[in-house]
Amino acid sequence: MFDTSRVQKEVVEFNRDTAISGVSIALYDGAGGADLTHLCGTISGPVGTPYEGGIFVIDIQLPSGYPFEPPKMQFVTRVWHPNISSQNGAICLDILKDQWSPALTLKTALLSLQALLSTPAPDDPQDAVVAQQYLRDYRKFLGTARHWTETFAKSASVGFDEKVKKLVEMGFPEDIVRSVLEGVKGDENMALEKLCSG
Amino acid sequence: MADDEDFPSSSDVEEPEDADCYLSDQYDDNAENVLQYLEDGRQEDCNWSVSSVITRESLLAAQKEDLRKIMELLALSEQHARTLLIHYRWDVERIFELLDQKGKDKLFSEAGVTNLENKINHSLSSFNPFTCSICFEDVSCSVITEMECGHCYCNECWTEHFIVKINDGQSRRIRCMAPKCNAICDEAIVRSLVSARDPDIAERFERVLLESYIEDNDKVKWCPSVPHCGNAIRVMGDIYCEVECTCGMQFCFRCLSEAHSPCSCLMWELWVKKCQDESETVNWITVNTKPCPKCHKPVEKNGGCNLVACICGQAFCWLCGGATGRDHTWSTITGHSCGRFKEDRVKRIESARRELDRYMHYHNRYKAHTDSLKQESNLKETILGKIAISENKDSRIKDYSWVMNGLNRLFRSRRVLSYSYPFAFYMFGDELFKDEMTPQETDLKQNLFEDQQQQLESNVEKLSMLLESDFQEFSDEEVMENMKHVINLSSVIDRLCKQMYLCIENELLYPLQRATHNIAPYKSKGPERASEHSSRFTKATNEDIDVQHGSAVNASGSPSPAKRLSQFQPSSSSDGKHGCSSTKRAKNEGSLDTPLFDLNMPAEVVDKSWT
Repeated sequence: MFDTSRVQKEVVEFNRDTAISGVSIALYDGAGGADLTHLCGTISGPVGTPYEGGIFVIDIQLPSGYPFEPPKMQFVTRVWHPNISSQNGAICLDILKDQWSPALTLKTALLSLQALLSTPAPDDPQDAVVAQQYLRDYRKFLGTARHWTETFAKSASVGFDEKVKKLVEMGFPEDIVRSVLEGVKGDENMALEKLCSG
Repeated sequence: MADDEDFPSSSDVEEPEDADCYLSDQYDDNAENVLQYLEDGRQEDCNWSVSSVITRESLLAAQKEDLRKIMELLALSEQHARTLLIHYRWDVERIFELLDQKGKDKLFSEAGVTNLENKINHSLSSFNPFTCSICFEDVSCSVITEMECGHCYCNECWTEHFIVKINDGQSRRIRCMAPKCNAICDEAIVRSLVSARDPDIAERFERVLLESYIEDNDKVKWCPSVPHCGNAIRVMGDIYCEVECTCGMQFCFRCLSEAHSPCSCLMWELWVKKCQDESETVNWITVNTKPCPKCHKPVEKNGGCNLVACICGQAFCWLCGGATGRDHTWSTITGHSCGRFKEDRVKRIESARRELDRYMHYHNRYKAHTDSLKQESNLKETILGKIAISENKDSRIKDYSWVMNGLNRLFRSRRVLSYSYPFAFYMFGDELFKDEMTPQETDLKQNLFEDQQQQLESNVEKLSMLLESDFQEFSDEEVMENMKHVINLSSVIDRLCKQMYLCIENELLYPLQRATHNIAPYKSKGPERASEHSSRFTKATNEDIDVQHGSAVNASGSPSPAKRLSQFQPSSSSDGKHGCSSTKRAKNEGSLDTPLFDLNMPAEVVDKSWT
């Protein structure tokens, strides 16, 4: 039922131009593990938004009907955004629900999430508190969003061991993670890119 | 038989000198009045509705009419017409309207119909090999399919997509797989690809498409019978109506619960809920018995009439519990105004207690009449026995259909009466219309309504009593006398019902500013019995109508041919307002200047016995 070959192709295709697109994807389990139904995506915060400079981790679950059913995506990194729950990271985006098309890919979905970060739709909110703030006091909203980005989405704020732990949890071997991370001077994002591109 | 529904001709229903017996109003009958009534009937049918039964077998035929209209007007294939109709909820008139407003292209694209005029043709063999952008596999061009919108994927992916959508309950709107493409997939392609993989799923797809006519259609609803009879009912015209399915189920077409007019659907819903809640606190004794005013023992009612006698010998009125005379005469009940809720009696009591009292008052009366209705249903058997005896008697009176006609009138009016109590409970209570009327207005209207309700009630009780008489033992003269009374009373009651409905619709519900409560209109013959679906519906000639009519006739009545004709006329008009459930209906202009002729009355009965 589950189409592994398509997901494999997607993952390979995906990380070819990570540096340009600002989105990347990785498997959770070890390199040999075949669990293609649980993936981890990252998007970098778009320039010119309060999310700029942040790296946002997204948990991706693929249902057995994928790609004919939409992937289930959720923010792991906490984010202050009208269409993303500040509590649990649930996302309100049409293409992840009724507007999903089998011709869309994980990459297009993550790129859409990135676009969502730069253009919130407060009239169709997931988090009513954030949406209210966005509409009533935009400056305060910007401040909170920026603060959340600083606090939760900047790799610099995370200790080295924690970064290692996080990457190991994504399914990379610990010794490789340590060496790669050291090579990029603790930049988790760069490390992830290197790890993914193998 | 009584059910022949012969068209009333120039016969007199009653002898003029007898008229005052039951009537306070002047009442005279002649052929002109009958015609006048029929004309009034036509006017009154501004709230017309006509219903038909759709069985599993006729489901396809039933939608053909709508499909054909769309196919002809827009030059579409059947499947495109179906897509369009599903999108616009089978509302042909709305499609015509939107065609004017939006134009063909917009109309089509919103519904996901590909306008074939705009299609660019190219050959599939130009892609060889073809890389499917869903599974990323290279496949031969023989196993790919292009949808009408021009998007092309491999058959494996299409099939998987269709199956996921069908299992997800989206059979009626399977969109193309391309992102942002709104086109609905060709049902023939779905059918052939899915049945190759899983015939059961293909069958489900087929059935769901067919049943869209019921599921996505405001004018067609499944019959709510349990176990389900498999039928659906289609109503043309006003959806506020009560219908009877061929399985015998009578129901409110709007809310699918039991027929509850003159209660509005909201009132009925509240009432049912309230009755369920209260029944837990009010025990069986208080609901089913009344204390005897003399010996105070609880008395259970075992007969239809509301004049009850306790074993101690005391007779009392079942409705108010007050002692009455023993005699089964009408005079003991005449002037008996116990149906009126006496406000002053409860004014002193605290409000919670008052509310309960108020509820009990209406509930008791509602219950009393529904119980009477049940017991009177048993009366039918007894009466049939009595009729059989009478017909074999050596007598010049051979036709006893008047008894059954009277009984049917009794059933119908008893229903109206019982539902008029929950209606009054909400109409004059604080729950729904507190802000709509001043207390003075409420009092005034309540008096007006209760006056009519009372008149109706006392006449219904009289009729009930008359019908319980042992007429099989009467002399010819007594039978004639009895018959006259029954016939007179029946028409009086029919008229009173109609009058009460006019009061409800025009004086009580119509002036409401905020809330809109529409009720199923009064039908002399009870809920309309849905006719079998006929595909010749719109082309129906007079003969066709007669044929349909003949097959639909039964004891509980269906509209007379004349009434039907008048109902058929508006079917060609594109008057959308009756279909819209949230709007208020026009004021009922039916006039009471002319007395109602009981159409239930076969003309020849009267002719025969009077000559």
